[in-house]
Amino acid sequence: MSTTTTVDRPFRADLLTLDPPRLLGSRCSACGTTTFPPRGFCPGCRSGAELETVPLTTEGRICSFTVVRQAPPGVEVPYVLAQVDLPSDEVRLMATVVGVAPERVALDQPVALELHPVGTADDGTTLLGYRFRAHPEEVAA
Amino acid sequence: MTLAPAHVAGVGMIRFGKYPADVTLEGMAVRAARAALEDAGAGLDTVDGLYVGHVFGGPVAGQRIAAQLGLDGRPVSNHENYCASGATAVREAWVALAAGLHDVALVIGVEKMTDRVAGGVRPDPGDLDAAVGYVMAAGHAMSARRYMADHGATRDQIAAVAVKNHAHSVHNPYAQYQKPIDLAQVLDARPIAEPLGLLDCSPISDGAAAVLLCSPAGLRRLGITASTPRVLGVGLVSGSVQAGLGDPNAEDVSRRAGEQTWELSGVGPDDVDLVEMHDCFTIAEIVRMEGLGLVPRGEGAAWTAAGHTGLGGRLPVNPSGGLLSRGHPVGATGAAQVCELTWQLRGDAGGRQVEGARTGLAYCKGGTVNGTDGGSVTTVVMSR
Repeated sequence: MSTTTTVDRPFRADLLTLDPPRLLGSRCSACGTTTFPPRGFCPGCRSGAELETVPLTTEGRICSFTVVRQAPPGVEVPYVLAQVDLPSDEVRLMATVVGVAPERVALDQPVALELHPVGTADDGTTLLGYRFRAHPEEVAA
Repeated sequence: MTLAPAHVAGVGMIRFGKYPADVTLEGMAVRAARAALEDAGAGLDTVDGLYVGHVFGGPVAGQRIAAQLGLDGRPVSNHENYCASGATAVREAWVALAAGLHDVALVIGVEKMTDRVAGGVRPDPGDLDAAVGYVMAAGHAMSARRYMADHGATRDQIAAVAVKNHAHSVHNPYAQYQKPIDLAQVLDARPIAEPLGLLDCSPISDGAAAVLLCSPAGLRRLGITASTPRVLGVGLVSGSVQAGLGDPNAEDVSRRAGEQTWELSGVGPDDVDLVEMHDCFTIAEIVRMEGLGLVPRGEGAAWTAAGHTGLGGRLPVNPSGGLLSRGHPVGATGAAQVCELTWQLRGDAGGRQVEGARTGLAYCKGGTVNGTDGGSVTTVVMSR
C-alpha cells in the first residue's frame, strides 16, 4: 500500500514560484528592462542580449481598475480587475484585487501579491494563480 | 510606398441587429453581396475573387458563402483579425488589385454572434489576460478611469460619445438602434464594468456588409464610366509589447497605424473630413482619435461634449452612428465602415450626410494580446 502526497503547483510553471511566493519576470542584461510574463526577447532594446529570469517584487500599486459587473456565463461577478504597477521593477500587469470592497478601491492604492487556488489538475494537484490584496487601510497617520 | 487605389464600384449591407436562428451567416452574407453587386450593376461572372472577414464563422465560412452565392470555384480567402477582420479583408483585396492579380474583388464582412456569444467578448483562452478574468469591457473601463484622472475629463463627457452617435443613427436605416438617447439614460444604465454602463458598450449583433472593389480594368469590365470613390490605402499594424509604466492611454498603436496610412495614401491628417471610428466602447472613440493625432491629447472628451465631433462639427466622427448604434457584428464592422464612407463620399448619406465630404478615414481595432497595446489596427483612407 502506498500513499501519494500531492503538492500545490503553479498553474503555469514559467510565471511564478511558490516558495517564496513570487512572480517571475525576465530582465535584459543590456538595458535592464524587466517584463512580465518572461519573454524570449527584450521589448525595451530588442538587442538580442541575454535575458535572466528574476523574481519580481510583491509590492504594487493600482494604476487603474474596474469593477466587473457582467461577464460571460460561469464567471462570478462582481470582481475588481486592475492594472497593477510594480514600481521597483517598472512592470505593469493585470490581475484581480481582493481584500477591499469594490466601492473603496482607489487609484494608486498599495496592493501586495498573493497566490490563490485557481483550479485542480487531472492528478488532483491544486493549481495556484496570482492576484493582489489591498493593504490594510489602518496605516498610522 | 504608394500602391494604386481601388475603385469602389458598389457597396451593400443588411441592417445590423439580432436575427433569429434561421437567419444564417451564409444567408446574411449572400444578401449583402447581392446588394453590393446590384449597386455596381455587376453580375457574378465579373468577380475574380472573394475576400471574407469573420471571427466566429468557423472553418471555410467564405467558401460556404461562395457556394450559396454562386461564386463557387473562385479564389476565396478567410480573414480573421478579430474586430478588424472585415477591414483586413478589404486590405487584402486592395493589395490583390494593386498587384494585378485581380481586377474585380468582392469583400464581405459577416458575423452571426447572437446565437454564440453571451456576456461579452473576451480574448482567446490561451492568452494570459483570459486567465485573470479579462473581458473587453474591463479593459476600456480601466482606460476610462485613468483617462478621467489624467486629463480632468468627466464621466458625462465620456457618455456624450454615446449620445452623439445615437443621435447620428436616427438617420441610418442600416443601424441596429435608430433612436436618440439622452445623457441621463447613459449614466443610469446598468453597470457593466465601472465606470462604463450598458450604453457605453456596443451590442452583440448579427450582420453583413459587402464592397465590390475594382482596378481601372475592372471598372471597364463592369462598364462603369462615372467617377467612383476610391480606397487610397489601408494601413495595418499590430500592438507592440509594452515595457515600463507609461501612459496606458498612449495608443501608440493608433499613432503608428495613422502614420502608415498617411504614407500609403498620400493624404494627411488635415485632409480628413470625417471618420468612421471603432467606438466599441465610448472611451475607445476618444483615446483612438487622440492616438491618431486627429484630436489633441487629453481633449477628446471635452471635444465630444462641445459637439466638435458631431455632424456639423469640426471633424464629424461616426456619422453612421458607429458601433454603439449601428451594432457590432465584429467581422462585418470594417466592411460596414467602408459602405458608410462610400455613401458619404457619393453624397448619398441622407440626413447623416457630412456636407462636402471629400476624404474619409475608417479605423478598426481588433482583439487584445497580453502585454501589448492592442491586437490589430486597420486604417482605410478613401477619397471621392
